[in-house]
Amino acid sequence: MLEAKKLVKYYTMKEKSGWFARKKQQIKAVNGLDLTIKRGEIVGLLGVNGAGKTTTIKMLSTLLAPTSGTLSIDGIDALQQPEAIKRRINMIAGGERMLYWRLSARENLMYFGRLYGLRGSALKNQCDELIKKVGLAESADRPVERYSKGMKQRLQIARGLINDPDYLFLDEPTLGLDAPVARQLRGMVKDLAKKKNKGILLTSHYLEEVEELCDHVYIIEKGHLLLHDTPTRIIQTIVKDRILLVVMDRLTQEDWTWLRQELDNRGIHTQKNETDEGTQLDMTAPFDLTAQFIALTHQRNFHLLRLESKKPNLEDAIIRLAEERELL
Amino acid sequence: MNLLNVIWAEMKKSHRHNFNNRLMYFSLFVWPVIQFVDSYYAFKPFNLGQDSPLSRFVPVEKLGLFLITGCLAYIFFWSLVQSAWMMGYEREQGTLEIILLTPAPRTLVMFSRAAANLLEAVWLFSIFAVLTILFMGGLHVAHWWLIPIAVVILMLSAIVWGGFLNTIFLFSRDAGFLYTIFEAPMAFFSGVRMPVMAFPLWAKMIAYAFPLTFVLNILRSIVLDGKNLSAIFQPLLELFLILLCLIIASFILVRYAEKHAKETGNLTLF
Repeated sequence: MLEAKKLVKYYTMKEKSGWFARKKQQIKAVNGLDLTIKRGEIVGLLGVNGAGKTTTIKMLSTLLAPTSGTLSIDGIDALQQPEAIKRRINMIAGGERMLYWRLSARENLMYFGRLYGLRGSALKNQCDELIKKVGLAESADRPVERYSKGMKQRLQIARGLINDPDYLFLDEPTLGLDAPVARQLRGMVKDLAKKKNKGILLTSHYLEEVEELCDHVYIIEKGHLLLHDTPTRIIQTIVKDRILLVVMDRLTQEDWTWLRQELDNRGIHTQKNETDEGTQLDMTAPFDLTAQFIALTHQRNFHLLRLESKKPNLEDAIIRLAEERELL
Repeated sequence: MNLLNVIWAEMKKSHRHNFNNRLMYFSLFVWPVIQFVDSYYAFKPFNLGQDSPLSRFVPVEKLGLFLITGCLAYIFFWSLVQSAWMMGYEREQGTLEIILLTPAPRTLVMFSRAAANLLEAVWLFSIFAVLTILFMGGLHVAHWWLIPIAVVILMLSAIVWGGFLNTIFLFSRDAGFLYTIFEAPMAFFSGVRMPVMAFPLWAKMIAYAFPLTFVLNILRSIVLDGKNLSAIFQPLLELFLILLCLIIASFILVRYAEKHAKETGNLTLF
């Protein structure tokens, strides 16, 4: 298990305040973060830009030293024994950097594999297997500079798995990828956790991705932990409203006045729009209002054209949370 | 971690990455040849007789040998200044961060990188230099087995120097100014074209700050002056001490550079 306790990272920034003078300013990137990742689970780390996600990942990867706090991986103190930890972890970032563009996929993997002490047939087999796994077999010997963005990202995944890490940190791994490639990568990430028993930390701006993949999620803001729970419970806790979208034959003024009165009496907030199709109602209530609405339509024989009950998702929850934080 | 494994990794990478274009070899050959020809003919208009001031330090009939050995040793050291300068690319491309993510011993990576780049950068000019030396004649060697020793000394010294420079370039994205410091002053003060003994005292003091000065002293003692092992023992010891200092400094600086990068996060600044 990876366990980070009270992780703090302060950066000291120097800004010019004259010819020779520099003004020091301390920036708190991460402030007392507790985080746990177990083998076989995918953990999400969410927050707006500048929340401290990348700083956290780099501290977990031993690339950054925390200002204070503790970090242990499977009982090994990562701050005291970073070299022992480096064999058990790896990091994959989104984007096209962190690869040698003039080298082929195979050469990149061979190079990084050797830095992990792999050699001979073990290295070759590991590279072949990873190349096959990420679907780059046909272009394995082509220079990376001729790869598409998706191919480079797949190679990044292979590079991140070269040492067969127990824990993998993914920083926006699907950034800028088109839908089919992103879906393929999501499948790969899920397999790594569930079939290969790897502990995975994922940051992403695509919240459907986090909702689909993560067993639990940490939401951070300005380095502080705001919330930690499963995606379902986060949604239930933050967004209590249910939304019902209805399109029906155009309502007369009399029918609308009656319906609005009935909905108001039940605590249902309604918004009406007239469309080419008919009258569209967007209704919001802190309970499932479908049954009640259908009962009302039966009373006056309204003809329903379309009815859609929308469940809130993680994105709704994060937006609501951000709105609430702004109000405070 | 296997030393040869890391060296091999760096060799394969630098071969494919830095020497991708064959024109690179052309430039690595032509530039030093021009430098040698330029140095040789720069002396021609001057008095090169037995009564010339130069003859007090270099036998004038061996001027060609003096210059080609100077150019050869310089190219070994200069190519590694260039290679260290390329660390900026590793920083920019994010590969330096990935190297530091691995458990590979950092000092070993720095020296392996130097070794890998050295062989690739110097082999062509070395062939030219050897052929030129054979063509010019005038070699005065006490024992022929001293020649491979001289080559090993030259290579090891250059690798230590290159590893040290790589380490320095780990510190900052702005280390490029060192290129300016090490390129021309090293060529001048180390006695590549002019004998160090002909320099005034202040210039001699600068000269002995560069390991190339000691290497050239030993190399020329072996191939020009016909000195035996016991005669070059003292400069060898001095060179050994300097290289030892550079290795220890590299070891300390690598640890410090990584610690600094971990505290400031400056590896992502480029």
